[in-house]
Amino acid sequence: MADDALVRVDDLCKVFPVGGGSKVHAVEHVSLHVGRGETLAVVGESGCGKSTLAHLIIRLLDPTAGTVHLDGTDISTLSPRAMRTHRQKMQIIFQDPFASLDPRRSVGDAVAEPMNVHKTLSGSALDDRVKALFKRVGLEESHTEQFPHQFSGGQRQRICIARALALEPELVIADEAVSALDVSIQAQVINLMMDLQEEMGLSYLFISHDLAVVERISHRVAVMYLGQIVELGPRPAIFENPQHSYTKRLLEAVPIADPRQRRERPLLVGDIPSPRWAADESPERVELVEVEPGHFVGVEDNPGATF
Amino acid sequence: MAAAYNPLKPQGDELPILSVRDLTVAFDQFTAVDEVSFDLHNGQTLAVVGESGSGKSVTALSIMRLVELGSRAKIEGGEVLFRGGHEFSDDGAPIDLVTQDEATMRRIRGNHISMIFQEPLTSLNPVYTVGNQVAEAVMLHQGLNKKAATARALEMLDLVRIPEAKRRLSQYPHEMSGGMRQRVMIAMALSCDPTVLIADEPTTALDVTIQAQILGLMRELQKETGAAVIIITHDMGVVAEVADDVVVMNRSKIVEQGSVYDIFESPQDPYTQALLASVPRLGSMNGTSEPARFDLVEQEI
Repeated sequence: MADDALVRVDDLCKVFPVGGGSKVHAVEHVSLHVGRGETLAVVGESGCGKSTLAHLIIRLLDPTAGTVHLDGTDISTLSPRAMRTHRQKMQIIFQDPFASLDPRRSVGDAVAEPMNVHKTLSGSALDDRVKALFKRVGLEESHTEQFPHQFSGGQRQRICIARALALEPELVIADEAVSALDVSIQAQVINLMMDLQEEMGLSYLFISHDLAVVERISHRVAVMYLGQIVELGPRPAIFENPQHSYTKRLLEAVPIADPRQRRERPLLVGDIPSPRWAADESPERVELVEVEPGHFVGVEDNPGATF
Repeated sequence: MAAAYNPLKPQGDELPILSVRDLTVAFDQFTAVDEVSFDLHNGQTLAVVGESGSGKSVTALSIMRLVELGSRAKIEGGEVLFRGGHEFSDDGAPIDLVTQDEATMRRIRGNHISMIFQEPLTSLNPVYTVGNQVAEAVMLHQGLNKKAATARALEMLDLVRIPEAKRRLSQYPHEMSGGMRQRVMIAMALSCDPTVLIADEPTTALDVTIQAQILGLMRELQKETGAAVIIITHDMGVVAEVADDVVVMNRSKIVEQGSVYDIFESPQDPYTQALLASVPRLGSMNGTSEPARFDLVEQEI
């Protein structure tokens, strides 16, 4: 793994206790890094642990085990006070921008808040900065006085992006940030995210269930299944040369927007197994082996048997 | 069983099972569906595609005459001609669903035209077993007794490939996964052998591997039953996967309609072109290693 990586995650685990003494292993022994100026996509289906992973990295949750290094500092055990300076370097954008904005607060105020909290700017310098951020994400300066309900879904997500950029972070975590948007708006927001990355050298951790979007935006891809990474590698390796049977199944399931590429659909019925375990049991750890430079694949005893 | 529908072959003398003509629906001052017209044939899958607020779901609800229930919507004009055969008219001529009374509509819904929705959990009753709910549909519509209805329910769960169907009959909706619940909804919708199935975003709430299973299942069942299907979706991938023909809606109007090949390969309307330009196509990045922006048409959609 690159030593100069912006984020380095080592052996990260999160276990949630659930009723009756059993537990859910939401994130199991995840190790990965995010390089500077790079987009790492984390893909998987509902319940695979991809959002929990994002929350662990930004410390909205504390890990059960493992470490997260940001810029060389282990942030997984920092006190809340010590965490504050590091929080400026990472921001998160969620799926539903309406739920992420206070309905009774002007959107200009919402974008100014991180700068108020961290006391980076005040007075007219702050106002100017807010206006500049609005312009940067494709909104009007005059929009700052308005309220969330006066905007469309795409505009609201632009506001959330402006707020995420307010503290000039190095890492932006996008947790299904474009999933709720109409496809034309989604494309615009993705283009904006790529422009911002180029200009500001941002790193993205792009959490998504949509493989067609991920193919477009990412440099590298991690595939998660039941809390563990089953395949990780450069985007071309994952999409053009997938090795793990779950990655293959995921890619085969994506409908292609081209009627000449219609595929036969399996009629098999499969539900993903439960990530719930009894108190004295644990899931079997997936060993990753490097099959080509930077391309790691989980070892399967019996490929495809469990999927 | 109807022959497989071929979009590239003219339908000849075969008359459409459903003809929507100049349908106009308004919510007070706002026209949600504006002079929409299309035909649907036996065995055909027609996709109605558009973005949020384009009027696609209101069109579907209007065909079922469900749109006026509990809302301020009103069908202001147009016809929905349904060829239901001699049961509804002496000479077998089509009847206009817009003018039918509620009693007739109740006979049509479920029996002849049935519908499945996006979110199966809100469509199922949490306090009844799924067997009960599938059986209820056939008891109501086909007058079967409880025993015959339960047997039919079991047959339907088998049809939609639910494993261990017998055990599943006595389960409650919360005991099933999203994909299983949507199978139950499909079983219910098909239990009375409808000639038209309207599916409103049937796979939108499902994970992609489950979506693939449900789309495969719907395609298979259509082959077996010969039903005509209207699928309402925002997902051009799903359209490309299942549709014979496509109706593209934008701001309450149809902007373009044609065979799925025409729409994807030579879209004529600027809106369709803009929509397709913003759809990510899996595999389009093969041979490249860097991310790539969408080449968006300069147009406000």
